[in-house]
Amino acid sequence: MRKPALALTPRAVNRVRFAAILGVLGPGLVSGFADNDAGGISTYSVAGVKFGYDLLWVLLASQIVLFFTQEVGARLGLATGQGLAGIVRERFGVRWAAFMITAMLIANVGSIVAEFAGCGAALGLFGVPNWVSALLAATVVVLLLTRGSYSKVQYLFVAVGIGVSTAYFVSAMLAHPDWGRAASSLVVPHLASSPVYWVTVVATVGTTITPWGQAFIQSYVADKRLGPEDLIGERLDVGLGALLTNLIAGFIVIACAAAVYSVGTQIDTSSPDAVQKIAGALTPLAGSGATVLFAVGLLAASFLGLGVVPLTSAYAACEAFGWETGVDWRFREAPAFYGLMIFFVTFAALFILLVPAGALVQVMFTAQVVNCLLLPFVLVFVMRLSADKQLMGPLVSGRFLQAIGWIGTVLLVVLSLVLLATSFLPF
Amino acid sequence: MLYLSQAIGRPVRDELGEPIGTVADLIVAIGDRYPPVTGIVVKTNGREIFLQWQSVSSLDAGGATLRTTAIDISKFHQRPNEIRLKKDLMDRQIVDIDGRKVVRVNDLRLDEVEGALHLVAVDVGASGLLRRLGIESPWRVIARGLGRGVPERYIDWEDVDPVERTIASVKLRVPHKGLAELHPADLATIIDQLSRNDRVGVIASLDDEAAADAIGEMEPETQVDILEDLEPERAADILEEMDPDEAADLVADLSEESREEILGLMEKDEAQEVQELMTYAEDSAGGIMTTEYVAVPASLTAAQTIDRLRELEPTAETIYYVYVTDEADKLVGVLSLRDLIVAKPNTRISTFMFDEPVAVRTDASQEEVTEVVARYNLLAVPVVDAQGKLEGIVTVDDAIDTLLPQPSKRRLPRLFGRSGPAER
Repeated sequence: MRKPALALTPRAVNRVRFAAILGVLGPGLVSGFADNDAGGISTYSVAGVKFGYDLLWVLLASQIVLFFTQEVGARLGLATGQGLAGIVRERFGVRWAAFMITAMLIANVGSIVAEFAGCGAALGLFGVPNWVSALLAATVVVLLLTRGSYSKVQYLFVAVGIGVSTAYFVSAMLAHPDWGRAASSLVVPHLASSPVYWVTVVATVGTTITPWGQAFIQSYVADKRLGPEDLIGERLDVGLGALLTNLIAGFIVIACAAAVYSVGTQIDTSSPDAVQKIAGALTPLAGSGATVLFAVGLLAASFLGLGVVPLTSAYAACEAFGWETGVDWRFREAPAFYGLMIFFVTFAALFILLVPAGALVQVMFTAQVVNCLLLPFVLVFVMRLSADKQLMGPLVSGRFLQAIGWIGTVLLVVLSLVLLATSFLPF
Repeated sequence: MLYLSQAIGRPVRDELGEPIGTVADLIVAIGDRYPPVTGIVVKTNGREIFLQWQSVSSLDAGGATLRTTAIDISKFHQRPNEIRLKKDLMDRQIVDIDGRKVVRVNDLRLDEVEGALHLVAVDVGASGLLRRLGIESPWRVIARGLGRGVPERYIDWEDVDPVERTIASVKLRVPHKGLAELHPADLATIIDQLSRNDRVGVIASLDDEAAADAIGEMEPETQVDILEDLEPERAADILEEMDPDEAADLVADLSEESREEILGLMEKDEAQEVQELMTYAEDSAGGIMTTEYVAVPASLTAAQTIDRLRELEPTAETIYYVYVTDEADKLVGVLSLRDLIVAKPNTRISTFMFDEPVAVRTDASQEEVTEVVARYNLLAVPVVDAQGKLEGIVTVDDAIDTLLPQPSKRRLPRLFGRSGPAER
């Protein structure tokens, strides 16, 4: 990989010190952890329950693509100090920005609803009623984001992410998996002819690489006020984030493959409470500890998503209008930003409390469709922006990164369209 | 008046009406208060060519027409003081003096000033955004149906500092401290455009006199908002500094509760004056008159009168006319400043005053007052009651307010001063 940043300035070279890099870490990790939110965990566990170890290679492949898309997003944030919505408005005009924001906000509401559902499913395993967990989660998230400073919020997000990793690592261990088989499945693609298999492949990629994830990393890097001199640290950050995301996803698949698929337990994965059932199904083989850990992991991951997705929505809307954004401001210094964030959390919480479960599935389905439609646009925006020398300065994508980026974009666009098509087919 | 978004993408035709391309951008030379347009970028056959403004005969929402058929297709080189409106300014982030993000540039407003097209203001309102999205008219229809307006907000170009050529953001150069030194009319424009909270902050940073001048120039609704948001004591202090006629109009618009509270906190004399003025119909001579005039008894000499003027000058609204009254305050004559100065110092004013002064009754309509002022070329006309007692004067600036379209007191903002009024 080319390293244009190394040639920047003596100051930039100076920055390449351990402490400085540690200071940069955060956005990539949080973004990576957040990609394994409630929707991600349910998709991975369904993949493990239905196809055992077979889908592990998809995880590896999608994490590699994730690394490159996140790297471009982070680089855009470093070079411009702005979020995606703001630059799209500047470079592609108001209409494109309006389209992107509208679609993203609609899809994000669905994602937030899914996070609430995840919290509810996890706490439901401990007998907590749905409305209590929704109110609790909403209150904690709003208090955290409005009161906490950037660094506190980031540390908490990272800590939650590490908690999720640990929980799934241990629950995978408890399930006594076939590690050899897992390792070979990770690198050797399994090509089945069943359409359901391929739908699951597409869904797995779709839950990892999302429009909001792309917008989030850029806004979050900008909010941290990182600049071009932080490129190396930020790449490391994004790399670690993608790696850990991959590991968590892998452990989930492995746990489900070993404890449910291998013993032939049948679970209706299409029901809304599939995750809950899957977590319960871990107990006979892996012990009740695995079920508890699975639930705790799901709770933490949903909570992380519940923090990150409304944050992304608020960043995007404020950036497009030019209003002040940032987790470090006090409420009255960035009222639109915090107001919108609270609005999104509350709106989705109301959905959870007032809308029957069947309709919720519809909401999340709509969100997925909108996400599929939006992702190609977001990726093309990002790729075109990152190749703009005037905008990016020394951080412009070289030929190698552009080639990789476009290959990834084309792949993801195709997958998105396939996912969109399959959303309307009965599998 | 032209918005940049209305011109971009419109056809460019040569002298003979042949289409040669579309408007891609406009170029202005910064440095002036309102930067003049110096060139146009035309997109033709997938290329951008640059034309000097001299070769453009007209530009409006229908497109541009050139004076020539011969086009110099030389490549465009941006000069150091020039910026491209669409590329360098449109949609850019606006930050305040402290670098805080405020809003983005929704559109740019160009106006014909002294025969040339100038950039006059940055559109930061909802209407600009809707125009860019191409849904302004349907939105207005819906908004009107709901009984609401579409907010228009502009920032005068004078208050904008386009930092460098590679503009990442556009900076406002109006710190709170700098506001007090602006002319009240300009100050009023800026305060009018602020949010309700910000207004109170700005007013709080001004002294009573500056605040009174600025408030006097604002639209009635804004005036009321501000006074009701201020501490009642502070509102009372500001009202005392205002001309009584303006103060009376404003107080009349306040809610009953705040009216009583604020009047109670004002100096007794001032409060009484305001209350008296409020008893007249708002559109009558009594309603628009001020009580700050200079009246002297006929027994004074020219020199004594001039001395009296020196004493009174600071508060009187006009000193170009001195009114002469008898013991019962009846108007018996009028003197111009000129009469006073050319007269011998020891002459009694009764000997050279104009003893058939033109006056209007307190219940005269505003139109009548305007007519009198216009017919006799007066700078102010005295207002008398049924007994001929002098009650106040209407100065020419208050009289001609009626000539403006309703709402009569609406001040035309500085940026629209040279073209049609803003729709609202």
